[in-house]
Amino acid sequence: MVARLAWLKLRLLWNGLRKDWQRRIGFPSLILLLGYVSWILVAQFRGAMESLGTDARLQFTLWGALVFWLVWVALPVVIFPLDENLDPAQFAFAPVGPGQLVAGLAASALIAPSVVIPVIVLGASIVEFSHVFPAAVLSALLLLGVIIFSGQVFTTLISAIFKMRQGRDIALLMVLGIGLSGFLAQSSIRGTTGRLGLEGAVLANPLDGVWAFLPPVAAQRVVTSAEMGSPLGVIGWALVAMAWIAALGWAWQRLLNWMLTTPDSTPSRSRARSDRGLAARGRWTAGRVLARKELRFYVRDPRQRLVWTGAVIFIALAASSVLVGSGGFGLLASREWLPLLAPALVLFVGLPIALNVFGWERNAASFLFVLPVKPRTLLWGKNLAATWALMIETVALALLLAWISGGWANLIYVPGLMVAAIGCQLAVGNIVSVVSPLRLPREGTDVFAQASEQGCLAIGAQAVSFFVIGLLLVIPSSVAVLTVAFDAGLSPWFANGFAIVWGVIFYAASLVVASSILRRRMPEVVSWVQTV
Amino acid sequence: MAVTMTTAEHDETNTTTAPAVWARGLVRKFGKSTAVAGIDLTIQPGEFYGLLGQNGAGKTTTIKMIVGLLRPTAGRAGIGEFDTWKDPVEVKRRIGVLPEEFNLYERLTGAELLDFTAAMHGLKRDEAISRRNELLDLLDLENEAGKLVGDYSRGMRKKVALAAAIIHRPDVLFLDEPFEGVDALSARLIQRLLVRYTEGGATVVFSGHEMNLVERLCTRVGIMIAGRLESEGTQAELCARYGADTIEDAFIAAVGGDDDRGAISWLHDSPG
Repeated sequence: MVARLAWLKLRLLWNGLRKDWQRRIGFPSLILLLGYVSWILVAQFRGAMESLGTDARLQFTLWGALVFWLVWVALPVVIFPLDENLDPAQFAFAPVGPGQLVAGLAASALIAPSVVIPVIVLGASIVEFSHVFPAAVLSALLLLGVIIFSGQVFTTLISAIFKMRQGRDIALLMVLGIGLSGFLAQSSIRGTTGRLGLEGAVLANPLDGVWAFLPPVAAQRVVTSAEMGSPLGVIGWALVAMAWIAALGWAWQRLLNWMLTTPDSTPSRSRARSDRGLAARGRWTAGRVLARKELRFYVRDPRQRLVWTGAVIFIALAASSVLVGSGGFGLLASREWLPLLAPALVLFVGLPIALNVFGWERNAASFLFVLPVKPRTLLWGKNLAATWALMIETVALALLLAWISGGWANLIYVPGLMVAAIGCQLAVGNIVSVVSPLRLPREGTDVFAQASEQGCLAIGAQAVSFFVIGLLLVIPSSVAVLTVAFDAGLSPWFANGFAIVWGVIFYAASLVVASSILRRRMPEVVSWVQTV
Repeated sequence: MAVTMTTAEHDETNTTTAPAVWARGLVRKFGKSTAVAGIDLTIQPGEFYGLLGQNGAGKTTTIKMIVGLLRPTAGRAGIGEFDTWKDPVEVKRRIGVLPEEFNLYERLTGAELLDFTAAMHGLKRDEAISRRNELLDLLDLENEAGKLVGDYSRGMRKKVALAAAIIHRPDVLFLDEPFEGVDALSARLIQRLLVRYTEGGATVVFSGHEMNLVERLCTRVGIMIAGRLESEGTQAELCARYGADTIEDAFIAAVGGDDDRGAISWLHDSPG
């Protein structure tokens, strides 16, 4: 059964590559990108190791294993998954034992582009400890088992919490918490190594005692014990790591069992919403009602809600950094022009929605596109909702940054830059949305995916679009910054007016072009974004 | 042998009014396979037209091309005087489409979904509210109006999808499996509503597999086989053409499916 599930994953991957040209480009590109990044990180890690003494070197590898494990487990949940996993619900009626199912899913998880990362990292570890080759291989295999099982258990746990409507907010808080604690941990590590140096920091914080029993540390201790000439240590830590893998497998199996036998969400009277519909208040035009529908989805669709709460992560990070005085934000606190960053920072938040206007419709695109709405109205309604959300976030962020930096005087430039930033973002987003809509993963197969199916292309599209938006914003930003830098040599009203006109012109031009493209490509957009 | 009445014949008999639904040489290919292989279709106003065919015969593909959700490889289609691919908005103003239930906005409530559809069709606010309430009441959904569509049962989704398809009183209504999962009482109610709707001059294009409903409701039937409109006519004409007593027998005779298949030795033997 293990081999059959692995074969199934391989077959699905192959069929996907054959059928989808975006995947044919994205898949090898993703492997190359991940391979390159892993190689660079491994080279830097090994470079750092060379400067350390024996004790510190061994401790450093333990820390490396721990950080690798944490990143592997948390990153797919916080950002987006690189892989599509097999859907366990598909096997609900198959005569597969729970142990077989878990083992099969674990094996199938190894058939994915992201596996290039552990292959390079663990391969480097084996090379590093090649003089104790058997222990190095055993340690690498155990670490691979630990990260695969841990990653699957954590993703399934989030999915399970996410499955309960009541739990969705908890899942969101967990994700926000992961982001925040990741940043704080990074700040703390930087602070400690800055104070004590790498060797001192590692030796001052050894992963001994109870920390040694953490799954990745135990797996890595197999090889460090061999390095220290302790065969008993090798056996002992290998047993600990194996026990962890068994425990993780058991937990995963229990979670899967719960998920397969629990309905998605329990409708309850308390969750019943107002039956007044969309007609109760507000202007009654197609564009406005479409915007109102979008705003409801921003709140009710957990994935969209997460996109919009991305700003909260930043605000939390900024506030905590200023409070603890760590990281680069501490330096920025003295800069009175900090509020001017708010419009640019909000671009990071709105991009997944702005660049994939129709992708978020998923199957409902076929409902929307049989309605007699002009393409321009469709885009306008959706943009209107995004504008409201972005404006609220920008204003909140600008106020916070003004409070942090004391740059209240420069708030006057924020409205102009805000309109320019939103206008340019939506301008680029509309074109990208109609030319290259991205299919979102089917709900339930991933947790917080933004665009995983086309993998690297999604990342590429976002990067290129962000670059283009940045270019478009150079001139209005320069006018505002020059005005501030030259002590209001230019009128703030001019800077604001210029930025607003700039944003509006680009947005209007894009709306005309994108509507014209959408008029011709509606069926193609529907077929691209539908998930079944 | 195709026995479809030609477009010219239809045009001769109905020279005064534009057909409610029409297609001329409609073709759709997916790679090397041909899903729809040149369909000519003319449906007059007030008709309750049943489009029958086996799974994969091309019924849904044909409907998708007529309503503008799928671009034809060749040919034209339209509603009344409008071409779907030249005047898509005008065509969409005149049609209602019952989508598959999983294509609805699951995170809108039933009331919100109907308001949204009404607004997109340009109904005035008061009229939208009034029609929405009437439809919810008629379809027994008034107590569920504040629940998310995603929380509805399959039958309730069909009902709210139907309400969304007719809230603007379209000239032509396309129904794909409209009674799947709907309870008997509601199904009877919907049937009565649809019959009255066509009596008022509106047109229904019905695609489904429930032959008893086709017999009860359809004034004309088209049978699709492998992407072609193989046969078309009133129920009496089709029964006479295939020497059948019922439309189900006529359909089976048309698709040539009444053979001796259905016998699998291992399946019929007792276990063990």
